[in-house]
Amino acid sequence: MAHPASPFLPILILLLVAAVTAIAILVLSGKVLPLLKPNNPQEAKLRPYECGVPPLQEGARHKYSVKFYLTAMLFILFDVEAAFLLPWAVNFKHALWTFAAMLSFMATLLVGFIYAWGKGAFEWER
Amino acid sequence: MIIEHIDAQLPGAVTDRHAFRGDQTIVVAKENLLALVDLLYREGFQLLVDITAVDWPERPNAEGGAAAGRFDVVYHWLNLASQERLRVKVPVADGGTVPSLTGHFKTADWFEREVFDLFGIRFDGHPNMKRLLTWDDFPGHALRKDFPLDGGDPFCMEGCTAPYNNGERAQG
Amino acid sequence: MAEMNINDAVVTTRLDAVVNWGRKNSLWPLPFGTACCAIEFMSMMASKYDMSRFGAEAMRFSPRQSDMMLVLGTVTNKMAPILRTIYAQMAEPKWVISVGVCASSGGMYRTYATLQGVDRVIPVDVYVPGCPPRPESMIYGVMKLQEKIEKESLSMRKEHIARFYESLARQEALQAEKGLTGQQTIRNMLMDAAERGAGTIF
Repeated sequence: MAHPASPFLPILILLLVAAVTAIAILVLSGKVLPLLKPNNPQEAKLRPYECGVPPLQEGARHKYSVKFYLTAMLFILFDVEAAFLLPWAVNFKHALWTFAAMLSFMATLLVGFIYAWGKGAFEWER
Repeated sequence: MIIEHIDAQLPGAVTDRHAFRGDQTIVVAKENLLALVDLLYREGFQLLVDITAVDWPERPNAEGGAAAGRFDVVYHWLNLASQERLRVKVPVADGGTVPSLTGHFKTADWFEREVFDLFGIRFDGHPNMKRLLTWDDFPGHALRKDFPLDGGDPFCMEGCTAPYNNGERAQG
Repeated sequence: MAEMNINDAVVTTRLDAVVNWGRKNSLWPLPFGTACCAIEFMSMMASKYDMSRFGAEAMRFSPRQSDMMLVLGTVTNKMAPILRTIYAQMAEPKWVISVGVCASSGGMYRTYATLQGVDRVIPVDVYVPGCPPRPESMIYGVMKLQEKIEKESLSMRKEHIARFYESLARQEALQAEKGLTGQQTIRNMLMDAAERGAGTIF
């Protein structure tokens, strides 16, 4: 007699294997590996590697322009808008109401676009 | 050859000269060096090949006169058009300075730093008179005849020369 | 230079054997190549002498990603603090092979500029003589290191590495206190070491 949930049995097995693997990795790296590896924490090992000389300038981490973030954010917004446009366009059946709905959606985003334009977000030099 | 007609253009500048099989050498005092360099450049000696120095510890270390001073700063030039080479020696005393050629030849920059590092001869007008080959606070000048030949190795066990920096620790 | 003394009773267990087998067969070299021995190293890594059959094909020029430093060539006094910094930045377990006579003892350069053997400033495990050593000699050196690794134990404390880090801390303290360059501090430490009869500054 087939159990009613038998199509999902492989998924249960996968869940169990994943859980066992995750726990095994955690236990091995947390408890077993520290017994096997040498343990000598030294401050010198954490310094940035610059071919053995003291670092010439204090890290290259800061000091990049925030314009990159702004451009990425704007890109995401309008790219998502375009992504919404595509399935709508596929299923569009020449009805005024559908068209007006999409226009209102794009109008909302258009207001934001004009605001960003006016604020100079599209000009790199500012 | 250039040394034959150099006296016409710069009378009295050359204190000594010799040539052997096309290898020509002149000795000038350091006051005449820049004028000589301008003359040589006009004559076509436009490639400064090397600047080095020689330590003559037996020479009296006095300024002025014919062979004055402990060091000879030696310049080599090449005339690219006529393929002639010229050696110029400039005597200078320990503690004296020589005019720098960095204004005329960019390559003189590091050559003069090397001479300063290894002999201690300073060059007037050099933009960056620092040591080149040894480290900034290296005590002494390595190619002088009184510097120990093996650098004064403190672990030396046999055949040792003078201890490094006479056993003093260099202070900052 | 006190390192692991074979006469000490080091008992290696099965676990040690497994771990050492893994370590010795996957030695990733850090080529600290300064001179001619580096050319012989390149030849050793190429297909004719083939170091990769010992698991050492993955040479990494970063101290974080390697475990065996091969000092290949003349190390000058100006280079000594740089060598120490790179050795300090390597993660343990780490070993050093000093390849060629310049790295082992200063070689033919008995001058003011050349460090007379890198073992004065960093701990060395295997010395490979030669000027330059043939690739077969260098492979033999790595095999000797593998034999040495086999005899290690997980519970063994690496005294020479601990002393190296102490000497690095001392060097930096002296440098900051006196305002000297690293090179001059190391020269001063070498003179101190010679006076008290030690062979190294760590």
